[in-house]
Amino acid sequence: MTAGRIALLALAAASLVAAVLGGLARLGVSIAVPTAAANHGVLMTGGFLGCVISLERAIALGRPYAYAAPLAAGLGAALLLAGFRDAGLVVSLAAPVVLLAVGIDLVRRQPLTHIVLLVVASSCWLAGDAFLLAGAQPDVCAAWWFAFLVLTIAAERLEMTRLARRAPAAAWLFGAAVVLVLCGALLQSWRMDVGGVVFAAGLVAVAAWCAAFDVARRTVRTGGYARYAAIALLAGYAWLAVAGIAWAAMSAGHGAWRDAALHALGLGFVFSMVLAHAPVVVPVVARRRLRYSPLLYVPLALLHASLLVRLAGGAQSFALRRWGGILDAVALLAFAGTLAFTLGRSGSAESKPRTTAESRRSCV
Amino acid sequence: MSATRAFDYSGPPEIAAALEQALRRVVDPEMALNIVDLGLVYGVEIDEDTVKVRITMTSAACPVAELILDDVAQELVALLGPRTKIDCELVWDPPWDPERMSPGARMAMGWD
Repeated sequence: MTAGRIALLALAAASLVAAVLGGLARLGVSIAVPTAAANHGVLMTGGFLGCVISLERAIALGRPYAYAAPLAAGLGAALLLAGFRDAGLVVSLAAPVVLLAVGIDLVRRQPLTHIVLLVVASSCWLAGDAFLLAGAQPDVCAAWWFAFLVLTIAAERLEMTRLARRAPAAAWLFGAAVVLVLCGALLQSWRMDVGGVVFAAGLVAVAAWCAAFDVARRTVRTGGYARYAAIALLAGYAWLAVAGIAWAAMSAGHGAWRDAALHALGLGFVFSMVLAHAPVVVPVVARRRLRYSPLLYVPLALLHASLLVRLAGGAQSFALRRWGGILDAVALLAFAGTLAFTLGRSGSAESKPRTTAESRRSCV
Repeated sequence: MSATRAFDYSGPPEIAAALEQALRRVVDPEMALNIVDLGLVYGVEIDEDTVKVRITMTSAACPVAELILDDVAQELVALLGPRTKIDCELVWDPPWDPERMSPGARMAMGWD
C-alpha cells in the first residue's frame, strides 16, 4: 500500500518537474520538452496539485477505489507529456469525477460544511478539465482550476477555524466569499471582463476572511513546525489578495497583469500552502517520520522573494520576470532538497505495531 | 469503570495517569496541541494484554489521521510493552465538537 502511494506521489512529482520546466520554457529558458511548455497549466493544476489533493483524500477515505483519482490525474499528465493530448485530457477528466465520488463518501461519513465545500471544489476541477476538452480559452479553464484550488484550501482552513472562537458573522462572510469565487468562475466562462472582476473580488474576499479568522493567527505565536506553517499560510493570504487585484486588472483589459495574477495565485498562495503542509503530508504518504527543521524557512523565503522579483518587473521588465521565474524553480528545488534531507535524517515508520494497521483497515 | 477528566477510561487505575501522559505526547502538528487537550480521545479500555482506543478527528477528510493513530500505538507500546495488542478505532460518532477541548486548549483558541 505504501509503495503504491509513493508511486503516485512520484507521478505527481514528475508532473511538477515537467510543469516547472514548461514554465521556464515559456520564460525563454531553453528546455527541449515542447509538450511541457504547451501544458504548463494543466500539468501544474491537475497533474501535480490535483494528483496530490486526491491522494490525500484517498488516504483519508481509506477505500481502494479512491486511489483511481490520483492515478488518473498522474497518468493523464503523463499522456499529455508524451504527446497524446486527447487521450491525456480524457484520462485526466476521470480524476475529478472519482474525487467527487470520494467527497460524497466523506460527506456521508461526516456531513459538515467544509466537506461539502470540498465536493463543490472538486466539481470546479471537473469544469476546468471539461472546458479544456471542449477547446475553451485557457483563462476560462484557469479560473475553474483556481476555483478548485482556492475552495479546497478555503474548506480546509474553514475546518481548522472550528477549533477557535469566531465572530458570529464569520460563517456568512465565508459563504459570501465562496459564492463570489463560484459566480466569478461561472461568469468568466462567458464574459471574461465581468466574470473576471467578480472572481477577483472572490479571491480578495477569501484572503481577507482567512487573514481575519484563520487559526494561523494564533499558531504563529507558537514555535517549531506550527509556527513555520502559520507563517507560510499568512504569507499565502497576502499573495491571494495581490492575485485578486492583479486578476481584476487583467480582466479589465490590462493583459500585462496576467503573469502576476496567475503566479501570485499559483505560486504565492497555492505553493505557499504546499510548502506549509508538505512536511506533514509527505510523511503520511510515505509512512516515514519527518523531524521538523528550521531549514524549511530557506525555500519558503526564497519562494516569496522570487515572486517579489517576478512581480516587481511587471509588464515592463521581461528580464526580471524571467529571473523571478528561475528563482521560483530554484525555491521549489531547494524545498524538495530540504524535505529529502529531513526525511533522510528521520527514522522510518516500519517499527510500527502491525495491530495498528489492521485495526485501522477495519474501522476507516 | 472509571473516568479521567479528558476521556472514558476502563483499566487498572494505577496506570491511568501514565496512560494519559503517553497520549498527551501525541500532538496535532499544525495546532501544536496534543490529542487529549483537543478532545480527540473518546475512550481507552485495557483488558489484560489488549488496549482499545477510540479516537476521532476534527475532519473526516484529514489524511493525518493515520499518522496520529500510528503515534498513539507507538506511545502505548512504549508504555505497556511490545506484547501489548493495540486496537485503535477511528470513530465519527459522536462527532467532535469544540466543547470537547480542555480548558487550557479552549483558552489558547480564544473560547474562554
